[in-house]
Amino acid sequence: MNENSESKEPIRIGVYVCHCGLNIAGSVNVEEVAKFAATLPNVVVAKDYRYMCSDIGQEIIKNDIKEYKLNRVVVASCSPRLHGPTFRRVCEEAGLNKYLFEMANIREQCSWVHLYQKEEATEKAKDLVKMAVSKAALLKPAKDIEVPVIRKALVIGGGVAGIQAALDLADTGYKVYLVEKEPSIGGRMAQIDKTFPTMDCSICILAPKMVDAGHHPNIELLTNSEIVDVSGYIGNFRVKVLKKPRYVTDDCSACGDCAQACPITAPNEFDVGLATRHAIYTPFPQAVPATYIIDMDLCLNKEGIIVCDKCMRACEREAIDFTMKPEEIELEVGTIIVATGADVFDPTALPHYGYGKYPNVITSLEFERLINAGGPTGGHLIRISDRQIPKSVAFIQCVGSRSEKANPYCSNICCMNTIKDALLIKEHWPEVKIYVFYVDIRAFGKGFEDLYRRAKKEGVVFIRGLPAEIIEDPKTHDLWLIGENTLQKELYKIKVGMVILSIGIEPRRDSQIIQRLLNLSRTSEGFFMEAHPKLRPVDTPTGGIFLAGCAESPKDIKDSVTQASAAAARAGILMAKGKITVEAITPRIIEEICRGCGLCTKVCPYNAIRINEEKKKAEVIEAACAGCGTCAAECPFGAIIARSFTDEQIIAQIDAATEQDAEKKIIAFCCNWCAYAGADFAGISRMQYPANVRIIRTMCSGRVSPKFIEHAFARGAAAVLVAGCHPGDCHYINANYHTQRRVEKFWKRMERLGLRKERLQLLWVSAAEGERLASKIKEMQAIVQSVTPEEIEKTKQAFAKGGEKNAG
Amino acid sequence: MPVRLWREPLDKEKIKKPIAEIHIIRDNCKGCGYCIEFCPKNVLEKSNELNKRGVHFPVAVRPEECVICSFCSAVCPEFAIFVFEKVEVDNKNDES
Repeated sequence: MNENSESKEPIRIGVYVCHCGLNIAGSVNVEEVAKFAATLPNVVVAKDYRYMCSDIGQEIIKNDIKEYKLNRVVVASCSPRLHGPTFRRVCEEAGLNKYLFEMANIREQCSWVHLYQKEEATEKAKDLVKMAVSKAALLKPAKDIEVPVIRKALVIGGGVAGIQAALDLADTGYKVYLVEKEPSIGGRMAQIDKTFPTMDCSICILAPKMVDAGHHPNIELLTNSEIVDVSGYIGNFRVKVLKKPRYVTDDCSACGDCAQACPITAPNEFDVGLATRHAIYTPFPQAVPATYIIDMDLCLNKEGIIVCDKCMRACEREAIDFTMKPEEIELEVGTIIVATGADVFDPTALPHYGYGKYPNVITSLEFERLINAGGPTGGHLIRISDRQIPKSVAFIQCVGSRSEKANPYCSNICCMNTIKDALLIKEHWPEVKIYVFYVDIRAFGKGFEDLYRRAKKEGVVFIRGLPAEIIEDPKTHDLWLIGENTLQKELYKIKVGMVILSIGIEPRRDSQIIQRLLNLSRTSEGFFMEAHPKLRPVDTPTGGIFLAGCAESPKDIKDSVTQASAAAARAGILMAKGKITVEAITPRIIEEICRGCGLCTKVCPYNAIRINEEKKKAEVIEAACAGCGTCAAECPFGAIIARSFTDEQIIAQIDAATEQDAEKKIIAFCCNWCAYAGADFAGISRMQYPANVRIIRTMCSGRVSPKFIEHAFARGAAAVLVAGCHPGDCHYINANYHTQRRVEKFWKRMERLGLRKERLQLLWVSAAEGERLASKIKEMQAIVQSVTPEEIEKTKQAFAKGGEKNAG
Repeated sequence: MPVRLWREPLDKEKIKKPIAEIHIIRDNCKGCGYCIEFCPKNVLEKSNELNKRGVHFPVAVRPEECVICSFCSAVCPEFAIFVFEKVEVDNKNDES
């Protein structure tokens, strides 16, 4: 079948309803749904089977396509986001164009969210199948578009995860740009003294990797640089990087004479402020690149005026250049790995621990710098108050983790980090008494339990129950810890010389910048979300972008490195192929209807549609189009066909959904990336909500034309929900702003017509906010119940007669 | 690395800050104010007194802040201000 030729052969649809074991069959009467499907127009065969996605299930479809000469296939099972590609492939293998396949989501959006309403769930499943069958009848065959993949990668973040990912990709033979915000790569791992459970020296094992990354012929290091803009799509990203000036050229030999001469000092960030640095400095001795850098916020020389030239005079190689300017570099890459790392919890938020008030209460990160031989004290663990080695030390666990006052999650690394730190103290100063106050000790990894046992054997005292308060003795600056030992059910009051707060890991405070630039999702905790928690743990929902390290969730060095190699492999697969197929969802212009008004060109987020001045008609630039369908929703003449999501198909879905009991139903339009994914997430999490909602998937909420809303009301629907990504997070740059504009306009129109505008709801929901969507549907029940038959009738008439006239 | 830095660095006293000796030839000053305006550490201010030329010459109000960049001497049109590093006169000769 050709894409453009109208086929005259009769439509023959096969419907396959999946039990998914008891996942669907547990709350949906699958046999009844299949029987019902058989009665629908154009359906020639309808079957149910335990697992449609199994080999046998796939064979059933393939055989039926041949036996019954099927030219459309509908599978009612899980989310199309999960097995859509599987069944499309099955169709293709049986010689049926994959665009002639449609899916009804009766698991994530039906059986799992209506676990205890078997009847309602079965009715809803029937409706969903009916909607899919109606859409299927209108499907058109199409051909995938092939686009080349640029064989270059961008790695954002030069911590251990970013370095590993960059090295793996570079060793495979791809060009890699490694962008780091700080003056040196190395990240958090460079700050740490030893690693658990093997007690390797952190910088000793990291420094060679940093040097490798710095010298690798395939790696271009861009330090002191930030990503400012990203455009394009999988395989073809255009990235703008702002390279801030170092004011020191590559001629620098890192001798340090300049820093000696510099009269300005400030706390060094690398040493968490425990040591000083100069305005011209290198963050730490192993820094890569080794080139010094001038901190212009501190330097006396401002824009164009050289007030102080002491560093210039000290530099024999004349490597200092105050005329350096910021540079904007444009990169073209095929894949992107996000390894932006994490921040640490600031314990001043928990005043009962006295951090910031008592000098001898320190954080675990400060401890790492104190115990490090290269640190400000040369590796001597000293009390800040009197610079003496403490006689006793207490570690407090879960500071900022597993708590309602701070972050609810476990930070993964702090238990083992404390055990390692305790052993380090015992190694240097065996006489120091060590207490660890904990909630639970989580020593789950390879070699972790051994280390825990060793710490107990060395005499580290583990006390279950965090102190309620820390009180300082103002004379000695010793600290009293008061709390309850929950194992022995008794109160404790223990005096120590020093307290180390085992602080948790937090998402980067500026992660929304990267989130916006790359259109990623974040969990409620703020870490970047993976495409699938089990099966695609390093992919993001955005094609061609992968995650590594603490940007995804708190994790230790080993896990970060493992994930980095995984992300490099995933990116490598794309680049090795050198091309990818893009779905045929770009629009077609019906030239006979187009009047060349240019409204579509104004709403396109990608400038992918333009007016051909000769023909005075719109034309689509295929390569730039991302397929959101906002243009089709804007066209007042219906001259744009959004392929796979055409007006007729969506209207047919609305018709099917409103055929029965429309006055009790909510018609919901959900965008593929956030709202529909959020609805799937609600299903995965088994969040229960009323069964009277019928979800129609579009690529973007910007595809939702006012005439769809109008049609749903004209058909007697009680309420309509339009749901899309949060403003600024739209998968199609800003297409959802058009959604907002259209919905607001529709509200005004409803008011003019004397209709209650609450019946049309607009919701921004991210892929992680299943709860938000579920609560909205619950909340809308009040509206559904309050709608009177007269109101429905009035709405029907208002939109049935005035609909066309008032449109636009 | 956005960690809040609030502690006094432990090596603060080890950092040797040069002590400045600021010489102002007050009667050569014509009161242009360049030195006051351009000092990056805001060490200088206009005095209340007048000199022979009848202008308010500068005084070092925050000499401890001076980092001896000598930019004041560079901009002074009258060569009326000079800064030297004060030589330590105490007996214990600190060799480190």
